[in-house]
Amino acid sequence: MRNLIFPTILILCVAVSIAKVDLVTLPAKDMTQLTIYNSADLTLVRDARSLTLKEGANKLQFSWANTLIDPTSLSMLPKAHADKIDIADLTFPPRVQNLGLWNIESGIGGKVPIEITYLTSGLSWRAFYMGTLTEDEKTMRLQGYVRVTNNSGEDYENAQTRLIVGKVNVLDRIAELAQRQYPYGRPGEPVPMPKAAGVPVRRARMLKEAKSELIMVDSLETALKAKEIKKEGLSEYFLYTIEGTETIPHTWSKRLPSFDTDEIPVVNLYKFEEERGRVVRRYLSFTNDQEHELGETPIPGGGMKVYRTVDDDQHLSYEGTSSFKYIPVGEEVELNLGAVSDVIVEPKLMDEKTDNYRFGRKGNIDGWDQIRTFQLEVKNTRDLPVKIEIKRNFGTNAWDIKNVGKAKKYYEKVDLDTVKYTLTLEPESEQTLEYILTTYHGVRAEDWTKAHRDD
Amino acid sequence: MRTKRILTCLLVAVVLVPAAQARTKLVALPERDATIIRLDNPNATLIEEERILTLQKGLNKVDFSWKAVSIDPDSIRLTVLDHPEEVKLLNVSYPPGEPALVWEIASDGDYAETVRISYLLSNIDRLVTYKAIADKEETQLDLKSYLVLRNFSGEDFDKARVLLDYGDSFEQGIDHEETKRMLFLKAPEVPITKIWTWDAAALPWDPEKLENQNIGIPVSYRIMNDTDSGLGEFALSGGKARLFQDDGSESTIFLGEDHTALVPVGQKTELYIGDSRDIVVTQRKMKDDKVDPIKNKKGHVILYNTDELITAKIENFKDKPATLTMIQHIGGQWEMKKCTLDGKKATYTRKDASTLEFEIELPARTDNGPAERNLEMRYSRINARP
Repeated sequence: MRNLIFPTILILCVAVSIAKVDLVTLPAKDMTQLTIYNSADLTLVRDARSLTLKEGANKLQFSWANTLIDPTSLSMLPKAHADKIDIADLTFPPRVQNLGLWNIESGIGGKVPIEITYLTSGLSWRAFYMGTLTEDEKTMRLQGYVRVTNNSGEDYENAQTRLIVGKVNVLDRIAELAQRQYPYGRPGEPVPMPKAAGVPVRRARMLKEAKSELIMVDSLETALKAKEIKKEGLSEYFLYTIEGTETIPHTWSKRLPSFDTDEIPVVNLYKFEEERGRVVRRYLSFTNDQEHELGETPIPGGGMKVYRTVDDDQHLSYEGTSSFKYIPVGEEVELNLGAVSDVIVEPKLMDEKTDNYRFGRKGNIDGWDQIRTFQLEVKNTRDLPVKIEIKRNFGTNAWDIKNVGKAKKYYEKVDLDTVKYTLTLEPESEQTLEYILTTYHGVRAEDWTKAHRDD
Repeated sequence: MRTKRILTCLLVAVVLVPAAQARTKLVALPERDATIIRLDNPNATLIEEERILTLQKGLNKVDFSWKAVSIDPDSIRLTVLDHPEEVKLLNVSYPPGEPALVWEIASDGDYAETVRISYLLSNIDRLVTYKAIADKEETQLDLKSYLVLRNFSGEDFDKARVLLDYGDSFEQGIDHEETKRMLFLKAPEVPITKIWTWDAAALPWDPEKLENQNIGIPVSYRIMNDTDSGLGEFALSGGKARLFQDDGSESTIFLGEDHTALVPVGQKTELYIGDSRDIVVTQRKMKDDKVDPIKNKKGHVILYNTDELITAKIENFKDKPATLTMIQHIGGQWEMKKCTLDGKKATYTRKDASTLEFEIELPARTDNGPAERNLEMRYSRINARP
């Protein structure tokens, strides 16, 4: 067991003189638990240790040089005999850095289990996904992964690893708090200047050791079955607990499977909105619910690569990159795969005229109507059926629309100046939607308002 | 005994002045007796220390000097404790170019006189921080408050009585450049109300218009500083609060942190812990017309009313019910024509002229999907000008 792990804990025997320090014991960690956040650079660390206390005053020294621990978050809790152990104070002594002293009054002597918790920065995790569409693109296999990275300056061995999905409110960056010269700053100095960022490079010997150890652990794991991740909701967040423990040395990262769901029914959705560029964008749409073989927990945000099976030999084609936002249970997912050219939407102005002019007393034009006929040519050149959403913005609230033919049943008003057509196109087919838009200008808009007062 | 640093010392030198008025410094260090650090004023720290001066009959000169310590010279006071009638402070003079003063004291006898010296000392203060653990159901908090003493004044205090603006005083030593954190308040069962707030002025209206981003709805815990909370004895100082939650398996998670302002007795504080992405609000303006225009002779509209319609769809994807506080804003003179929630008349509180607050009860989601509620506000702004 390496004993170079920081932070270190020393128990000092306090006799008559404070200056005289007697080292009683150096307890090893019994258990470490990491709760890693991804919305902010912070991790809650919980160390269980066993201390040998003597009756009376004890001093416990905790040092955290070369780590990214926030000293203001340090907290200690006896896990037994809590009524007999009084943690009087935590002192950050003068002219020493990265060191804290707990003054403990103990009513008992002997071994006492304690728990030390603190926040550190440098550990992070992110979710990412791989989607594999079937050849007919009707269903998709979705594999979710989490990747945990340790840049904290500390090696974590056999740590229970938990991940938090959620957005926590954080006032200060833990990395900055960790680098303060004085843990709580100085009076009259609201924003202490952090020292140069970065964690000192650890000794090569230790890294080498860590490496060999990791390989050993991994080969052991692959021999067994893949680890499961337990998921549960807490407050507004989701807690993922990785089965067993993990060893993640400083500067290493680890990828773990989070879920693997096959045959998720997906809809190929294409969207067009002229104001967002004259291109059709492709989306994969499904809902995070039981009907879609999902719906147990929210899906954390993260990047995604989408592939498609192209033949019976399991060969793949790469369809594109996308990303998930956080998807609550029951919400529809729309994975943006980017612009495509095999589904085409072309709006065309077919006819334009003006009418109903109003003139003012001086003979100027005070109002008029503009009547335009648009055609939307929609083409599906793919050998699959596709769903298409087309949005049209009118830039005024005084308008009337007349949908011609099929356009009627696809039509929906979104807000005061936006409408939407939603339709499904058979493979290799096309349709033309037509609508006549009348917009009212000047005093004619006032007339329109009067006419629509009771809508 | 610790070695005193040279830089930080308060020297009191008693100089007996015979007939001649030459000022000689006698470096005798009367031991500091009872020392009080008063932290009841957040802007300045008052130190009171007692010393014994050996006074002789006649005129005595007492030097008081401070090096590497920041003392407001105008704040220094001397109080004679044993013989206030017989010992009189005549005047105070400040020698040039040095942080010192000289008291001229007249005594009608030889006394070992106890005096109290008071002064405002800079760079020593206190912070208050909070740590709270919510239960798994989020109904109450185990609240602890810590006092953080920070001493960067240049002075070491071996033993001092520390006074705050509330609670009992306590004995504590603190050295220069030392920081000490002490637990001073425990309230193990503070009831909390969890609040979700959607403010139309602060958050985007239409999640569809955001490219693949979530809108987080701020979530806060409301705490009352009263006896029902096991508090209410004194105002809670402002400070940083870190909130955790019991995870039901002998551990906790970090929920978030916020800064609370001072909470007077009987008042509430709301601590913003983080964002909920399981409640989604989609608000849209469906109508915004100018009606009843009045025109000037040139035909320009100079006054009008509006006819506006706002719809908001609120979806709860959580497996628990929630109460959403929804804040809407309508500026100027206005009149609500119709306000409904799911087609039925909705009520709101008018917080001020332009702020409306709705409390919207959201049931938990079901197997069929999210719980959905729909708010509609049809209102008219009156006598608006272009």
